Amino acid sequence: MVAAAEKIANDPQVLALIKDQSTDAAAKARWNQFLELVRIPSPSRQENLKAAEIHRRMVEEWGFSPSEVMTRADGIIAGSDTNIVDGLPVYNACVVITGSYSGRADAQHYKGQFPKVLVEGHIDVVNPEDLNQLPANDKFNHIKLQPYAQPVVATPEELAAIPTELSFDARGRIVENDQYATASKVFANAKEAEAGGGVRIYVPGYGDMMPSTSNAFVLAAAMKKHHIKPVYDIWICGTAGEEGKGNLAGMKQLYGFEQKLGTGSNPLNIVANFGLEGGGVVNFLGSYRFEMKFKAPLPRGGGRGPSAPEAMAAAIAKIADVKTPSELREGAPRTTYTVGRASCEPPPAGGTVVPSCSLEVDMRSTRKDPLEEIRQTIEPMFQAGASAENARYGRKDGGPEGITLELMWYGLRPAFVADSVDNVAVHAGLQSGIQLGVLTSPIVGTGSGSLNDNVPANTGIPTYQFTLASSAAGAGGHAFWEWGTRGAPATEVARMHRVLTAALIVSGFHAADGTVVQPAIGPIGKRTREVAR
Amino acid sequence: MKRLIYSLAFVAAITATGTPAFAQQSGNLRVEFQGPGGHSSGAYGRVSALHAAARAVILIQKALPAGSYQITNLTGGNSVNSIASDGLIELKLTAANAAAYQTLVAAVTKAAAEGAAAENAFRGVKAGDLTSGAPATVRSVVRPF
Repeated sequence: MVAAAEKIANDPQVLALIKDQSTDAAAKARWNQFLELVRIPSPSRQENLKAAEIHRRMVEEWGFSPSEVMTRADGIIAGSDTNIVDGLPVYNACVVITGSYSGRADAQHYKGQFPKVLVEGHIDVVNPEDLNQLPANDKFNHIKLQPYAQPVVATPEELAAIPTELSFDARGRIVENDQYATASKVFANAKEAEAGGGVRIYVPGYGDMMPSTSNAFVLAAAMKKHHIKPVYDIWICGTAGEEGKGNLAGMKQLYGFEQKLGTGSNPLNIVANFGLEGGGVVNFLGSYRFEMKFKAPLPRGGGRGPSAPEAMAAAIAKIADVKTPSELREGAPRTTYTVGRASCEPPPAGGTVVPSCSLEVDMRSTRKDPLEEIRQTIEPMFQAGASAENARYGRKDGGPEGITLELMWYGLRPAFVADSVDNVAVHAGLQSGIQLGVLTSPIVGTGSGSLNDNVPANTGIPTYQFTLASSAAGAGGHAFWEWGTRGAPATEVARMHRVLTAALIVSGFHAADGTVVQPAIGPIGKRTREVAR
Repeated sequence: MKRLIYSLAFVAAITATGTPAFAQQSGNLRVEFQGPGGHSSGAYGRVSALHAAARAVILIQKALPAGSYQITNLTGGNSVNSIASDGLIELKLTAANAAAYQTLVAAVTKAAAEGAAAENAFRGVKAGDLTSGAPATVRSVVRPF
């Protein structure tokens, strides 16, 4: 792998790609593409608008033929046995850099699927939460600019009141005006940005994680342009459903992961995975998510009865006082929770009784036992809230005159704790960094992440993460005040060099000198369930 | 530019100007909570505006006479994996007269502030604290609608 990394990183074709991306024109093109894509709202499970624009650009601008686009506008991937997740279509956007392997006489496949390496970053963003709530005449994110001298906005209203924002033409192209020039200034860090007239660029997805995902497609187009030829196919994907109630839908489609069974069929025969959300972690947090509905009894005889919002409030208030194992016991694995969202059905016209309310709660831990502990602490509080409200009116739990509970949705991110880091994705991830001078030793961290990688890791597929982004500063992830400031374009290019090197180490590579770097892994990917086809 | 105002001061101002909307026996209030929000795991430890709203509802239950109020909405947050940066209680108040109504409004306002304060105390933040440059506390405001 050391020799492979050296050969690939210094291959003339690869270096030509890197040189091409190192120009001012390429840096500007990447920046503009990011701004134009991040402007498109993309809530989890409603990524169709952003996926459609990516699909359009794949064919019309990035040099791919329609046959190289592996995802369809309706959310179908041919070859996946999991095209519907949680009852909804999955709006992934993938292209293939076609390898040579399938042309070999002795090529192996899994039920018709030749091996492939996946490089992915998610395209969904926490805010806005629902496309349907956007005004009919204003369907795009506003990208606001604020000098560092001003305080970070405290409310959405303050954000909306910022007068300076980026402009786009009717085709969705960035207008290169004075505001654009200000936003495009490059800085090394927040201190330099503050001193040099930099601005906070507020837009959902700046930090999590459109710069990296957008650059994945820049890399894909560059690989196509420079005729980079892997042995195994490389799929480069923008994935759906990483945030919110997305439930890792995009990865579940790609890996055939059935939540009820807890198994992945790996129907596309992916042999290794590279995520682009950063981290370099090998252990993955598990999480439970619940959506619980509190249903009010039918009003009777004009009298007052248990209230759905008050039952839900009782549950949330109880949960709000929970201390996690890591807060209770020194040294316990980090464990977190929050009631992330709540809503109520409006009362019927002329009435004041709320028919039902729902809450969504998230629980996570780096290890299974504390995750089970926090679940066992919090899960009874749903009923405790309902019971408390019923008791205020002398109503019995479970009866027709009391608040009743309904499980609306259950989310699972499968946890994974690595027994060993001796796999090709980790080796390639580290060796590419060492080759390019980013790392000095092949050491992986002991931390855990909660990423798209949970799915391949749990399915047995080697996985590692990088980022292709470069920001001078940023904050407010998952909040209304998410912002960033542009970082050095050269950092993006260096990161592209590393990701390209790592992916080609695993996939294998046809070098400019006519030799072939053979794939670092066998042609049949792991799975925990067989595909039914 | 909107600035959140601690609601006791807000109500005092409204009362002083004699706003007609409050000179009645029933009316609707919106109790808004604003916090920093953030990633449910990465920003764990920050206050939740939704948790604060729920705490306030329980305090309203304790402070207001039965039958004097009806919660008509409780909402907040924008995704399961984010700490809620916003919370909202909507409620209808019913009182025998205008003076009693003002007493109810004051009690709701106090409960809202105490709900926010309880959430801030649970997470160990106080007014003026910042998290990544943004205000770290949950703040409440009460408005008629």
